[in-house]
Amino acid sequence: MAQPVVQIQHLQKHFGKFQALKDITFDVYPGEVFGFIGPNGAGKSTTIRTLLGILKKSSGQATIFGQDVWSQAVAIHKRLAYVPGDVYLWPNLSGGEAIDLFLKLNGQKHSAKTDALIKDFDLDVSKKNRTYSKGNRQKVALIAAFSTDADLYIFDEPTSGLDPLMEEVFQKHVLALKAAGKSVLLSSHILSEVERMCDRIGIIRQGTIIETGTLDDMRQLSRTQVTVTTVKDLSTIQQLPAVHSFNQTGNKATFAVDSENLASVMTALAPLEIKQLQSTPPTLEDLFLRYYNQEA
Amino acid sequence: MFSTHYAKTGQLLRLNLRRDWLKIVFWLIGLVGLMAGAAAKFDGLYGTKKAMATIITTLKTPAMVSLMGPFTAKPPYTVAIVYAAEMMTFMGLFVAMMNIYFAVHTTRGDEDSGVLELIRAHSVGRSSALTAAILELVIINVIAGVLEALGLQASGMTGMNAGGNWLFGLGLAMFGLMFGAFSLLFAQIADSSRGATILSYSWLGILYVIRMGTDVKNPDYTWWTIYGWIEKLDIYGKNNWGPVGLMLLMTVIIGALTIMVGATRDVGAGLLPDRAGRKRASLFLAGPLSLIARLERTSTIIWLVGLFFLGATYGSIFGTAGDLLKSNPMMSKLIGTAATDAANRAIVLSFANKLTIIFAVLAIIPGLITMFRLNGDERKGYFEQLHARSVSRAHLFFAIAGFGLVVSLATFFLAVCGMYVAGAASMGDNMPSFAHFMRGFWGFAPALIVTFGFGALLSGLLPKLQTLAWILPAYGFFSLYLGALMNFPKWSTQLTPFGWVNTVPVKAVNWGTAGWMTALGLILVVVGYIAYQRRDLLEN
Ligand SMILES: Nc1ncnc2c1ncn2[C@@H]1O[C@H](COP(=O)(O)OP(=O)(O)OP(=O)(O)O)[C@@H](O)[C@H]1O
Ligand SMILES: [Mg+2]
Repeated sequence: MAQPVVQIQHLQKHFGKFQALKDITFDVYPGEVFGFIGPNGAGKSTTIRTLLGILKKSSGQATIFGQDVWSQAVAIHKRLAYVPGDVYLWPNLSGGEAIDLFLKLNGQKHSAKTDALIKDFDLDVSKKNRTYSKGNRQKVALIAAFSTDADLYIFDEPTSGLDPLMEEVFQKHVLALKAAGKSVLLSSHILSEVERMCDRIGIIRQGTIIETGTLDDMRQLSRTQVTVTTVKDLSTIQQLPAVHSFNQTGNKATFAVDSENLASVMTALAPLEIKQLQSTPPTLEDLFLRYYNQEA
Repeated sequence: MFSTHYAKTGQLLRLNLRRDWLKIVFWLIGLVGLMAGAAAKFDGLYGTKKAMATIITTLKTPAMVSLMGPFTAKPPYTVAIVYAAEMMTFMGLFVAMMNIYFAVHTTRGDEDSGVLELIRAHSVGRSSALTAAILELVIINVIAGVLEALGLQASGMTGMNAGGNWLFGLGLAMFGLMFGAFSLLFAQIADSSRGATILSYSWLGILYVIRMGTDVKNPDYTWWTIYGWIEKLDIYGKNNWGPVGLMLLMTVIIGALTIMVGATRDVGAGLLPDRAGRKRASLFLAGPLSLIARLERTSTIIWLVGLFFLGATYGSIFGTAGDLLKSNPMMSKLIGTAATDAANRAIVLSFANKLTIIFAVLAIIPGLITMFRLNGDERKGYFEQLHARSVSRAHLFFAIAGFGLVVSLATFFLAVCGMYVAGAASMGDNMPSFAHFMRGFWGFAPALIVTFGFGALLSGLLPKLQTLAWILPAYGFFSLYLGALMNFPKWSTQLTPFGWVNTVPVKAVNWGTAGWMTALGLILVVVGYIAYQRRDLLEN
């Protein structure tokens, strides 16, 4: 594979005594959309702010384009665009002024693309930022980011204030970036968004990355819900290490199986003479809920 | 009607008081301590006949009249009468500032931070928040007034009487409440707490300057200046309660107007509608420096113009100030015209010394306000986009610090210019040269730079404590304005950089001192940057 755009190894961050990031390790490669998900307070925004050089890491390694995120921040930011979840803008500036300013700060100009984006996101840029709703402020940042010509785009819950129509516009533009071979780091709580756009996913919980991989990989790693009725007594199935949440009534049982061990469980069930079998692959929600609720 | 408008006012009030009590206690200790402390000291200062005669001559000079109001008392003079003349106008300024602070803080401050939106969502009346703010101001002022009166009572100053003490305390309380009411009104009109504060201070400043003019020209006109009512109480003389009634009337009118306006406007909005902004940024708006300039544009203009006019207002009384010896023809006959002119020039220059300090202290304000954006805007999240762009921390820090310092110095310079221009017009040929007045600028500019550097240092090193930087100019103002009159020990005036400077423009600039002070100030700024560049940027 190509050289990663973002490379994070054992990143840690303390706020006083509190350890917000314990062990963050993942890479983002060129041309991929990397989904960064996890429960509230897990450390997503903290990781992103460390990547942006807003926070100083306590230990570990973090580079973007092979350059250190703290000491080379200015050089990195020339090729990067960022949209936070909560966008705050100077109340006296208009949206249009803010967009142009952000572009100029990266040495870029208001272009035809900018005008097209303003139209797409349906934003009245002559209004003062003071009068914008949360979603409208987010649009200002999104327009500025999408019209910046960068190699890496970082989004931290960028659609938390957008209506479904605008969410659609957002996804369209992210997919366009992907098609153009750009890298995207996207933190989000909207699973459909993640499922549709992300090539790979990293799951963070309590400051630690607990899983990275493609969605298919993860489905493999998660549990399939099985309901089975057999002729012979099936209580022995409960003993298998791959079986969880076993629940038996008579000769019918409901349980969860680690997906990668499905075959061995079936082999164990076969001699018991299966009368009826139903297996449900995990939904995305199940998958995430399982990761989110896992004991540390 | 009552419940939709005023429901839960009491609960809100309790909540606000619980939140603000520490700040209230600090203000009260400051005010009452200052009043009672000075009162206890005055007997020692002006106990002798000779000291009394000197201070009364001083208080009658136009310079002192412009700062403290006219000295109208008739003999026999007592220490208490001198005390009232020196303290009243000055304390009025302090009390008004306290009321502006709490009025804006409990109304627009809550609104800007979104707290009020949460409160309104509960079953709280439309006018409850405003009513709670009014009640809080009443409580603060009444407590302050009573404590001040008791403090005076306890001081045992010669010539005081219970009637005067109570008039002093309650008169100040009423005066404070009146400015609180003005501020509450401005808080309804403006569109943010910052706007409300600017309006309130502009109003206070304008009234103060107008009364300065009328006091010097003809104290009778001072009745029209509102601020001047506080001078008409004639404390320890006739103890005139009339002006207190006037203030009460004004407070009630403004208060009623405020409630009317407050009930009709939306939370978070001002009375004035928002104009549409530009669709595109101007060519000028292109980087951190131009951004800061754009954000500070209006207030910078106000400061530059405002201090020029303040300087001019003081300068315009130089003609009268320099005429001190004319009123004493014997003296001018004795020492001759040339000597009289020289003496007048000396008087004007020593007046200019005091004024230059005041200008320098005032000029530091816009600079520090700009400097504190570094953390203020960070906390509000405004800078987050900036940091993600290719803007280095050095660029941002020095854009802010540079703009702030230059605005402070320019404001200071214009104040000195205003003083010279108007002074030359009023004094004619006898006016000392511009270069003479510039000694004041070159002398005190380094003190301003050190004070600014201290603010920059704190905002880089201890962002949570940056507001402590206000102590330097506030104490500088206090120690030099009052310290000279009250014979403060020398070391106590040297706690601020303003006390390190010699008496320019009377004396020539001490370039050695100016040099090392400037270097010190700039070093403080750089150390502030080094700390800023190594730390986390604050969020939220
Ligand atoms: N400046 C700070 N000081 C102290 N603790 C902090 C600071 N910033 C974040 N934290 C803590 O670090 C943890 C991670 O916060 P972070 O904002 O990164 O979470 P998140 O994953 O982005 O959550 P969400 O999904 O709600 O946005 C939280 O427990 C938070 O309280
Ligand atoms: Mg977050």
